[in-house]
Amino acid sequence: MNDTVANPGDAARALLSTPGTTLARTLGALKTLEPLLPAERQTSLGLSSNVNIDLLATYLRKQGVLAGTRVTACTGSHDDVLGDLARFTAAGLQSMVYLPFFDNLLPAFEQQIVHLPPEQIDDLEQSLRQRWHLLFSQAGALRYLLVGTLHRLGTAVDTGVPDPVQAVLDRFNAALREEAAPHRSVRLIDTEAIVRQLGLRSAVDLRFYLRSTTPYTAAFLDELAQRVAQATRGFDTHYYKALVLDCDNTLWGGIVGEDGPDGIAIDPHSYPGRVFWRAQLDFLALERQGVLLCLCSKNNAADVDEVLVHHPGMVLRPQHIATARVNWDDKASNLRAIAQQLNIGLDSLVFVDDSAFECESVRSALPMVQVLQVPAQPSDYAQLTHTLKSMFLAGGVSAESRDKTAQYRQRDAAEQARSQFASHEDYLASLQLSVAIACNDEANVDRISELTQKSNQFNLTTLRQSPADILQRMRQADRWVLSLTVADRFGSAGLTGVVLARKLEQTLVIDALLMSCRVIGRGVEFALWPALVDLAAAQGCHAIEARYIASRKNAQVADFYDRAGLALHNDQPDHKVYRQLLADFQPKTIAWIQVTT
Amino acid sequence: MINEQALKDVMAAVLEVEVDLISEATSMDTVEAWDSIKHLTLVLAIEEEFGVSIPDEDAADITSYTLIRLVLDEQLKRRAA
Repeated sequence: MNDTVANPGDAARALLSTPGTTLARTLGALKTLEPLLPAERQTSLGLSSNVNIDLLATYLRKQGVLAGTRVTACTGSHDDVLGDLARFTAAGLQSMVYLPFFDNLLPAFEQQIVHLPPEQIDDLEQSLRQRWHLLFSQAGALRYLLVGTLHRLGTAVDTGVPDPVQAVLDRFNAALREEAAPHRSVRLIDTEAIVRQLGLRSAVDLRFYLRSTTPYTAAFLDELAQRVAQATRGFDTHYYKALVLDCDNTLWGGIVGEDGPDGIAIDPHSYPGRVFWRAQLDFLALERQGVLLCLCSKNNAADVDEVLVHHPGMVLRPQHIATARVNWDDKASNLRAIAQQLNIGLDSLVFVDDSAFECESVRSALPMVQVLQVPAQPSDYAQLTHTLKSMFLAGGVSAESRDKTAQYRQRDAAEQARSQFASHEDYLASLQLSVAIACNDEANVDRISELTQKSNQFNLTTLRQSPADILQRMRQADRWVLSLTVADRFGSAGLTGVVLARKLEQTLVIDALLMSCRVIGRGVEFALWPALVDLAAAQGCHAIEARYIASRKNAQVADFYDRAGLALHNDQPDHKVYRQLLADFQPKTIAWIQVTT
Repeated sequence: MINEQALKDVMAAVLEVEVDLISEATSMDTVEAWDSIKHLTLVLAIEEEFGVSIPDEDAADITSYTLIRLVLDEQLKRRAA
């Protein structure tokens, strides 16, 4: 154990991550840590409610610091969510938290319900619906609109029949969910779940509610802020893609190399086998939602294969594992290899191991990897899987992400096929690659936005776009959203490339060009140029303009436009502008790819 | 005995001023940031830090350093007794 702390920043950070740190100490730690954050990492939120939730700002700042970004939050007017939205948008705030408080919809609403004629409650529901409808349809400029669902302030006496207050609450929440559903930027946060988790007495403080309409305790707001951070992927600071699991005492109980395949604990009917069986069900559920599962274990590969393929108690099977590194190398090297093979950044990995030594060595060698240790008590394992679910899923999942593992495995099969061919081109031809280019395909707005958010390496300008941004581009004249769907004989890689273009006078300007690294290296990135030239010509353009803006991760495309044959127009260290007259442009032909538009 | 330094630390943190500025003379009138909203946060923070519950009737009225110290001292003695 290390009791001495290196610097005040570390001490303050430790305070913030410790549950139960008091409000005053939290504020003190924020004062120390906020000035240390990089200046470019910041975000702003507006808070809107029909009760006073000022203190939420403090806990949002805390979550911001923990995620490495400076959060500024400002409070709106009392019970004026539409006015707040207009003011927040005008002030350039990026996101908004809206927390309607059930008991204050009307004064003492929970007590009033039994006295109100049903028509009046219907009226109220209608007017709320209209307000929500307006709010959600006008919130397109926001990155996120985080909306708390309604919860009760009191508890019902159990009379044996359905409680009228609960019935109204359920109706209103259903209306809220229904109105929110079509809107991509709206994320609901389940406040009833927070109240259940903390207990009503720890979540609301009637003293402050009755005196000054300030119902929530610090504990409630702390938890709410944490859920906001999860729903926004740490205010857009992370996007976890792969879960890397150790095997012994992580996937199963015991050590397969010593206990043998029959000696390990993994089955639904005994202890501790059922602890691991439950955990594997959770891992598999994550895989179904698009999380890539990988193994990183110090073992003989044959032992682990034997268990994966044949052990009757296993939930996870070889087809669920995107890639495995089972060997005696150090785990940091194996994690690097996994990231490289999947073509994702190390900061997209979450690593789980039971050994404190392995966890610590990965933390120190690869601080960008999120490391979680399996709890010492088997009964605490569910907390770990819960944490994993919030890390991977709370930000939402798009349908296309769901068969990720299958797509990566196809790519692997393709890699293996490569070795049989005389030349790389023969091999590429054998793949029967095809690229379908769609223009302004509104059905894929979510996936396109997701790709702009997630792609780092093959991304020329790293322009992040919300679904609303993409939709706006699609619907504007003189702007085009091109999306590429790549397939080969092994299967479809899905929508894996995006080009955002616009016409400026007689030039086609490429605002963004990005691809999932899964499809790079086969010529797809060059096969799209004839389509771009056609688009430019059809729009009466004489030239194409494009730029490369350096980020921490996109060095591999620094010379992409040079390779594509565009003329360099202005060369600055981190920012290159290319301008190419169509008359002099001969895009490469990629014989082995069939392009359809 | 009340830990005055701890009390000053809490007040400084919540009111966002340097701790040297908290003195016998500090009150809602002398600290710009100390409005009715901040006041709630302050009461909450003091209760949490010292493990006491300040009675409803006092909570709104303790609008200066000396008043807070007085009420806090009472609550700490009550808890000890």
